[in-house]
Amino acid sequence: MAEEESQFEEFEQIDFLRDRHVRFFQRTLQVLPERYASLETTRLTIIFFALSGLDVLDALDVIDRNLMIEWIYSLQVLPTEDQSNLSRCGFRGSSHIGIPYSTKGPGVLHPYDSGHVAMTYTGLCSLLILGDDLSRVNKQACLAGLRALQLEDGSFYAVPEGSENDIRFIYCAASICYMLDDWSGMDIQKAIEYIRGSLSYDNGFGQGAGRESHGGWTYCAIASLCLMGRLEEALNQRELDRIRRWCIMRQQTGFHGRPNKPVDTCYSFWVGATLELLDVFQYTNFDKNRSFILSTQDRLVGGFAKWPDSHPDPLHAYLGLCGLSLIGEPSLRKVHPALNITQRAFQHLQQLQQTWRDSSAGSCRRQH
Amino acid sequence: MSAVEESSNDSVEVKEDSEFDAEAEDQLGDDHVLDPTRYIFYRDRKEWADLEPVPQDDGPNPVVKIAYSEKFSDVYDYFRALLKNNERSDRAFALTAEAIELNAANYTVWHYRRVLLQALSKDLRDEMRYITAIIEEQPKNYQVTCLSTWRLSSPRHHRRMVVEWLNNPAEELEFIADILSQDAKNYHAWQHRQWVIQEYKLWDNELEFVESLLEEDVRNNSAWNQRHFVISLTTGFSDPTIAEREIQYCLKQIRKAPHNESAWNYLKGMLQDRGLSSQPGLLERVLELKETHCSPYLLAFLFDCYEDALENSSQKENICNLLALEKDAIRKEYWLFLGRSLKSKHGISGNSDDLEPSVPASELFPTEPL
Repeated sequence: MAEEESQFEEFEQIDFLRDRHVRFFQRTLQVLPERYASLETTRLTIIFFALSGLDVLDALDVIDRNLMIEWIYSLQVLPTEDQSNLSRCGFRGSSHIGIPYSTKGPGVLHPYDSGHVAMTYTGLCSLLILGDDLSRVNKQACLAGLRALQLEDGSFYAVPEGSENDIRFIYCAASICYMLDDWSGMDIQKAIEYIRGSLSYDNGFGQGAGRESHGGWTYCAIASLCLMGRLEEALNQRELDRIRRWCIMRQQTGFHGRPNKPVDTCYSFWVGATLELLDVFQYTNFDKNRSFILSTQDRLVGGFAKWPDSHPDPLHAYLGLCGLSLIGEPSLRKVHPALNITQRAFQHLQQLQQTWRDSSAGSCRRQH
Repeated sequence: MSAVEESSNDSVEVKEDSEFDAEAEDQLGDDHVLDPTRYIFYRDRKEWADLEPVPQDDGPNPVVKIAYSEKFSDVYDYFRALLKNNERSDRAFALTAEAIELNAANYTVWHYRRVLLQALSKDLRDEMRYITAIIEEQPKNYQVTCLSTWRLSSPRHHRRMVVEWLNNPAEELEFIADILSQDAKNYHAWQHRQWVIQEYKLWDNELEFVESLLEEDVRNNSAWNQRHFVISLTTGFSDPTIAEREIQYCLKQIRKAPHNESAWNYLKGMLQDRGLSSQPGLLERVLELKETHCSPYLLAFLFDCYEDALENSSQKENICNLLALEKDAIRKEYWLFLGRSLKSKHGISGNSDDLEPSVPASELFPTEPL
């Protein structure tokens, strides 16, 4: 927040500054200064935050959808002529490897080019948000790339050359399979075992077995199980009640991610959406949650920050909006709590999936 | 060897440069030696003339484009050229250090550096020194920020790989303790620590370490988690002596700081599967504490005890009301909901496993996965 604003803090109305947020996301989509270099390999996730944020604000009209769609497709790692790179397919986070710009195949052979599971996830979400029909996504290649990332213990690497492996990437994998309507991309049973193994003694989920329970990883666990349609198979009622208790205890004013940590805007979504998936979000205190989120709103540049009087960033700007949407903020679109896109984008996905099923049923019939 | 910038005051750069002096010096052109304070772009260095730089190509309409300086672009244009050719050389190895300096979050640079470490049979102890310097002097690369949610934790992963290759965790516990002394709840640090301890069976002094952290801050939830981690993977909790010791420890910490969710979560977590009401005398001790050291967590624990004992519905209802109306008002609706569930449960059966949520989660997902 700007220095000169602080003297007016006591008198400011907690009102929601829609237009500022629209402009915040518009600026995010343009040019960032060099000090944002650390975001290079995750640029596609930043695009997702901005696009989904604009969608929640019902302001997608401010961008040129087709240009965005083309740019996103240029990040797809497509199979080479000889299909030798299938286990490396998916979407890149950016052009940082130096592959020449192209939105069509075949893929270019390069010793270090591969997809990243979180980029494939946010890439697909972004295309859906933009109204694309995913017809240029090489689904089988994406699924092959996904299979290559799963370990024996059920968790996923992010990239085929190896990386850390944990529950975040299970969530990305489950989302990808869900969107592509094809679970051949992962071994669900193994993933469930890893998720169960990540359940902590205090009834939240850590990033893996033995690790401290945390709002973000709890979201990944529960949302993954919901997307797989296995929530009540993987966890019994007693466990679910205990998890509900852990989650609901995260509310202080807004929410924090771990006991005895400060509240942070993004957990209004991570924990809020988990509570929604567990059917108890209605029992949280909406007023205190809303007041906290809005206290982190940047009245000058728009967006939201993790804390009051901090710098806004695209992640908190987006998740702050999602947090407000969960409590029913009037001007905001509803968000699908497990997939983390608007219900509008989700309906577009459902229609697409119906067309895929119809056409495969049709081709079956034609064969007979 | 990377050229030294006029304005550079970065000791990391100097440190790493001196390691590669002997070999890298041979590759320098004359211009470089004449005036070591003048930065020369790679594109102007004779010894790099054989490589065609590879620019980043975002096409006609880039999105979220980062505006790199000339220096940044130059280094990375040559990095991309090396990558494309999969070059294995000392000059490549040296360049990765510069690329990391500019953006330590680029996981491809780190991966390529590991490839070179092996291909060139580099001294891994030197690499440990390097990664230690990177982490200690650029703490933001080890910090856990929300923006790193989907980002790979490159320096930490690199360190773990080097430790594995060296098969030598000797420095790790101290290194992590140092990080924790600055940020006692750093999630990455605790994760790394757990890996080191489990992989190399370094359990011996960990409980002591945890206790010292809890002495400093009894509300450090990460330390409580580590306590559970150590005990569950060494002695376990089923030995009654251990269980009693841990209960005493919890109650002592609760007396010191009653409003501490971590301590209550630990107590409950330790006992919940065997049954909160199964521990003799515990309920009485908690009821005693209720008079002098009450908190929402104590009351919730009491509620859970009564739940477990399938006992006394009116007591449970009283606790729910106390929590809803006075002691934990922010969760008023939740405690009232639990109170209502008690009423309906009592009508049906005493078994909490029968209680179904009002709207099944499956209804949120009309499209079932195939």
